Amino acid sequence: MPRPVAQMVTFTLNGQEVTAPENAILADAALEHGNVEIPVFCYEPKIGGPVGACRMCLVEIEGIPKLQAGCSVPVKDGMVVHTDTPRVREAQEAVLEFILVNHPLDCPVCDKGGECPLQDKSFGWGDGISRFVEPKRHFEKPLALSPLIAIDRERCILCYRCVRFSQEVSEDHQLVLQERGAHAFVATFDGHPYVAPFSGNIIELCPVGALTSQPYRFRARPWDIEQSGSICTLCPAQCNVSFTVRDDRVLRVLQRDHEGVDDGWLCDKGRFAYQAIHVDERITQPLLRDGGELRPVTWELALETAAAALGRGRGRTAALAGGAATNEEGWLLQGLLRDSLDSADIDSRAGGTLPLDLHQALGAPALQASVPDLEFAHAVLVLGTEPVDDAPVLDLRLRKGVRRHGLQLFTATSRPSALDERAVLAVRYAPGAEAAFVAALDAALTGADVAGPAAAAGADADAVRALADGLRAAGEDIVVLWGERVCSGAAGADAARGLLNVAARLGLEGRDGAGLLGVPDGANGRGLREVGVLPNAAPGLAAPDTDGRDAAGIAAALAAGELTGVYLLRTDPLVDLADTPLWERALEKATTVIAHASFLTPGIAEHATVVFPAESHAEKEGTVVHPDGRLQRLRPAIGRQGETRPEWQVLAELRRALGNDERLLTCSMVTARMLESIPFYAGLTLDTIGADGTRWTERPQGAAAPAGAAAPFDLPAPAPAASPNGRLRLGTFRSIWASPEVGASPALKFLHPRQRVELAPGDAERLGVRHGSPVTVACDGRSVTGIAHVRASAPEGSVFLETAIAADSAAELDGPLVEVRPA
Amino acid sequence: MTWTPGPDQIEVVGGPSKAGGAGGLYRAFGETLRGLKTTFMQATEGVTTVQYPEEKIPVYPRFRGRHRLHTFEDTGLEKCVGCSLCAAACPSDCIRVVAAENTPENRVSAGERYAAVYEINLSRCIFCGYCEIACPFDAITMGHDYEMSDYNRSDLIFTKEMLLAEPLERTPLRAEGE
Amino acid sequence: MTDILLFRDIDEPGLATIDVYERRGGYQALRTALKTDPAELIETLKGSGLRGRGGAGFPMGLKASFIPQGDMQKYVVVNADESEPGTFKDRELMQKNPHQLIEGVIIAAYAVGATKSFIYIRGEYEEQADILDAAVQEAYAKGYLGENVAGSGVELSLHVQRGAGAYICGEETGLLDSLEGRRGNPRLKPPFPANAGLFQGPTLINNVETLSALPHIVELGAETYSAIGVANSSGTKLISISGNVQRPGNYEIELGMSSRDIIYGLAGGPPEGREVKFWFPGGSSSPVLTADDLDVGYDFDSIAKAGSMLGSGAIIVVDDSQSVVDVCLKLAHFYAHESCGKCTPCREGTNWTEKMLGRVKDGTATPMDLDIMASVQQRIIGNCLCVLGDAMAMPVSSMIAKFRGEFEAHIEAARAAADRAAVGVAG
Repeated sequence: MPRPVAQMVTFTLNGQEVTAPENAILADAALEHGNVEIPVFCYEPKIGGPVGACRMCLVEIEGIPKLQAGCSVPVKDGMVVHTDTPRVREAQEAVLEFILVNHPLDCPVCDKGGECPLQDKSFGWGDGISRFVEPKRHFEKPLALSPLIAIDRERCILCYRCVRFSQEVSEDHQLVLQERGAHAFVATFDGHPYVAPFSGNIIELCPVGALTSQPYRFRARPWDIEQSGSICTLCPAQCNVSFTVRDDRVLRVLQRDHEGVDDGWLCDKGRFAYQAIHVDERITQPLLRDGGELRPVTWELALETAAAALGRGRGRTAALAGGAATNEEGWLLQGLLRDSLDSADIDSRAGGTLPLDLHQALGAPALQASVPDLEFAHAVLVLGTEPVDDAPVLDLRLRKGVRRHGLQLFTATSRPSALDERAVLAVRYAPGAEAAFVAALDAALTGADVAGPAAAAGADADAVRALADGLRAAGEDIVVLWGERVCSGAAGADAARGLLNVAARLGLEGRDGAGLLGVPDGANGRGLREVGVLPNAAPGLAAPDTDGRDAAGIAAALAAGELTGVYLLRTDPLVDLADTPLWERALEKATTVIAHASFLTPGIAEHATVVFPAESHAEKEGTVVHPDGRLQRLRPAIGRQGETRPEWQVLAELRRALGNDERLLTCSMVTARMLESIPFYAGLTLDTIGADGTRWTERPQGAAAPAGAAAPFDLPAPAPAASPNGRLRLGTFRSIWASPEVGASPALKFLHPRQRVELAPGDAERLGVRHGSPVTVACDGRSVTGIAHVRASAPEGSVFLETAIAADSAAELDGPLVEVRPA
Repeated sequence: MTWTPGPDQIEVVGGPSKAGGAGGLYRAFGETLRGLKTTFMQATEGVTTVQYPEEKIPVYPRFRGRHRLHTFEDTGLEKCVGCSLCAAACPSDCIRVVAAENTPENRVSAGERYAAVYEINLSRCIFCGYCEIACPFDAITMGHDYEMSDYNRSDLIFTKEMLLAEPLERTPLRAEGE
Repeated sequence: MTDILLFRDIDEPGLATIDVYERRGGYQALRTALKTDPAELIETLKGSGLRGRGGAGFPMGLKASFIPQGDMQKYVVVNADESEPGTFKDRELMQKNPHQLIEGVIIAAYAVGATKSFIYIRGEYEEQADILDAAVQEAYAKGYLGENVAGSGVELSLHVQRGAGAYICGEETGLLDSLEGRRGNPRLKPPFPANAGLFQGPTLINNVETLSALPHIVELGAETYSAIGVANSSGTKLISISGNVQRPGNYEIELGMSSRDIIYGLAGGPPEGREVKFWFPGGSSSPVLTADDLDVGYDFDSIAKAGSMLGSGAIIVVDDSQSVVDVCLKLAHFYAHESCGKCTPCREGTNWTEKMLGRVKDGTATPMDLDIMASVQQRIIGNCLCVLGDAMAMPVSSMIAKFRGEFEAHIEAARAAADRAAVGVAG
């Protein structure tokens, strides 16, 4: 549904004329437009509509005999409101006295003390004394609501924000109120720990110290700490965060509400994985392979060795950049490779590259939807991505759209999506058959033959037709949220053409509130593409002098001896990329493997010759690009740990050592050079990017972006998906928890995934596999083991395995068909 | 122009007369003798110099000297729960508290949390006593010790153990009404 | 004179079966109603002056007229969660004459254009729920419910839903939440159920007695019905009398009857030698009236003028053998136990009041606590999300105001007794 436009009305607040949008909630309008604070506890517009439970916000409205809850009254023209009459003050004092009846006064030991809304409200509106002399209620405390959250039920004032978050925002439906009246308490429905991807948000929602962070427990008080705003680069959602810093250590991560990015929520990975910054396993000094072992060395020696090795491998060195690399690092890396090492073999995509004109067309400003568009569109098609794993906070945005704005959600994925339950229609296709599915959808939208491509995609033709009809019927503002895996693999280019066709058929180009939103695999996947970390694109998605090899090509060339060195900027091919066996051979064969890494993941530990310590996201400086085209700025919150040096500096020094005389002294110099070199970033500076970022696609200079290929395209008949024929089709997914940071964080470690083999109940029964039992998945003589996870919604004939885990990753298997048997 | 005093004129007092005689003698020696009297009377009073450090002047009960942390007499648990309110109140920012959680095996204080680190940098402390006022558990009080000089600045950072310990030499306390 | 309507055939054996009910003229009013235009029917209901019998006394016809026109899904919900202490009139209606209620539901559903209806009955009324279930089956079988109600082409389904025994589920929005399968908590109003009620659809929600009166209104016509009773309180009312009276039970009266006639005439007054000390005119949540108020007419306006409310029409009589402290404590305990906990003043206020009364009871309170208690009641009234908090605060504050001397005397006596016991133990 399109964003509502509010009319301004004038009302009287404590005798003062205030102009505010009509139907805005009085408590909000009074604060924003009238500079009058109406105290609230239970009201939190981020969670949903008002509930009027705490009664703290009572105000007097002329013409209404009873006091009204300011959190639930919409502002009307001519309304006369009083918030400071004796009657209102008496009511506010009364409610605070009631709230404190059962609230223990243990502020000195409470983690919320000093930043507690209840303290503030008691100070501002309370009476200062309590007439309650009876014993307060008692609960067992402290209790762990989950390994991440501590609950103190005595402190709870039963505003039930947390319960509403669980029920209405994250919709995991785990938290409920148990019992009644003064004995009521918050608990999970089944008594199990509250473990959910977004559970940590309830800590920030709690207006008292009832829900506190376990990792932050008793670490610091508000006057001991400083807040430092930056961006979380652990996934493409790039949520705006604020690091809590004490004694140069990150102790906590809080949301930094940005309506255009995260809507004020964080996932638990973003909230708790900061712990990985301060663990002993982290690499904080340069390492050099010496006699088969990685040993700490000085920076001078490491840089010298790396520069010498790169110099020897001129023309035979490739580079790969991981998703957490910033634009500056990507730009320097491609410059280092293309200008100083005479090589064009550089890539940042796991699934092979697309023709340049398709990259350009998919990233064209006229076709880009923004994150808020997901909420206000008439319909959203989630295509080939699982938001909760790939960019978690978008999952909440879609649920919000469905719940509050009548968004019609459609999902089309091979693996069942968590959003299916909220979707009007969920369509399944065979794993890897994205191109065929997109072709079928395109055919359905044009009225051509659907049956052929749908059969090739392993999808139900009627469902595809229903999807096309549903999208057309929903309205004009349609957003397609697509995952990078759609345009990956051998048929990636066809899928990209099909996707552009679909966008053209639905008229998404140039329409406000509609468009494509591509979720890359890496956190800064979009930025790395735009600064030229692609084998066939120079900075600004311009054509390079020569095209190079993509990731798979690099692996093959390394294994064949055509390339001798590889530069790994924050990536480990054995964890992040497909086809582990080939990469193992490739890294084995390579004579030079220079890596920037924080942890000794298998590929680094076994094959790297030089390891530079990588910065954590709290130490990093630079810029990144959000999937919707928003340039965002990273600012260092803490000093670099140990001997860690900035990665841009390492790249710049290698560049100098290899003969480039340009002096790059600060990161902002690199940023300026990088921004200058890209036509569609023209005029941007760190200042204009600012704290909230800037969408380059919305600026007039964005028109300088190359247009790329123009839809519609003629699509070739898609190759049919492999028929299972007794075996199972292999699908892969990357869990939200599959990251080295999760594995290294003491509090999050329990979520670090092991291989989970998802399959349908029918297949499980046929294969004699029980839920929770170990199974072996084999293909072409290679096998991995995992725990069977029988999922009722999984499609028959397919099995889904995790990638990006250190052991037993699905990348070991080639597919497309695998055998599953009990281990 | 001549000055004509108005009705609010006050009486003009003249200076000493220039005449000699007894008055003149008194003026010449009287005050000197009076001063000498004071001087000689002091000579009979004996020595008042306090032989510090062998001898110490007792302090008043409300004298604000070196801080002390307290424990409960019955259980031996520390009164401090590591709430950091003293650090918040401190105008010279000389207190550092790092809290930790009590466990059944390692119970240090009576509450849920205790001060794992409690440091006062006495080279910065101005002995204002705000920490004592801020403390909700009467865990920190200003003691009476004022002998804190040392050879190293770093030795002036007092740790929790030092603040909990009884001072080696007690400063004498002035008795009631003394 | 037709001052017996709802209880007209109440003692007829087998009235709960559809055959007997039809033989006594049942479902005739429905046939009349189905021939009337719905808008006209609502005018009739408005004209009858029928006020809700559940407690609030809101004019039923007006409420029905708030249901928006249009072809959205609308609902009629019967509030049969009769939980107010002292109230047991709906129980008898449902047990002995379920078809009268069903007929009323069908008429109401036809008037507002609802095609789905529910009877939400409290969990403890197992026998009545069974009877209702059977009666609904009979009505379906006879074609009064289903896709073609009595051959008129109107569709209506009726489902009997049993609650789980929570007082708050008698609050209309709490009832709707419970009916939807959620925790029974009152909702923020507005929106009112007439606009966004059950499953966010327009919902007419009424008490059993209110709906049971509909067939009679249709039968008599608005004018005849409104002539019964007094101005602003038309019709007959079922009253449940309990407490210290000789003949407790349900009686049907014409509104406006003198309260003395009800308590002494119908119910026989308190036992021999006892005097009425105070009485609740409309269930346990109405402020108490004393013997001085016995001559007040029993109708909505007169009781309100006397400082109380007619409520559900449940009169609880307390004679001079009882202690006001005991009554008050029992009442506070009930409401503290039944408070849902959603809004602060009710949750903490009822809990605090119960604790204070406990101290009054055992003599550890002081007269100052009575002042605090009175002030706490004033801080609850009007500040809550629903009326449960007020339901405790109003009678408690009226008891403290009217019997303060007795409270103080009780504190003195209890303290003295406790002191004696302590001395006895020590000695």
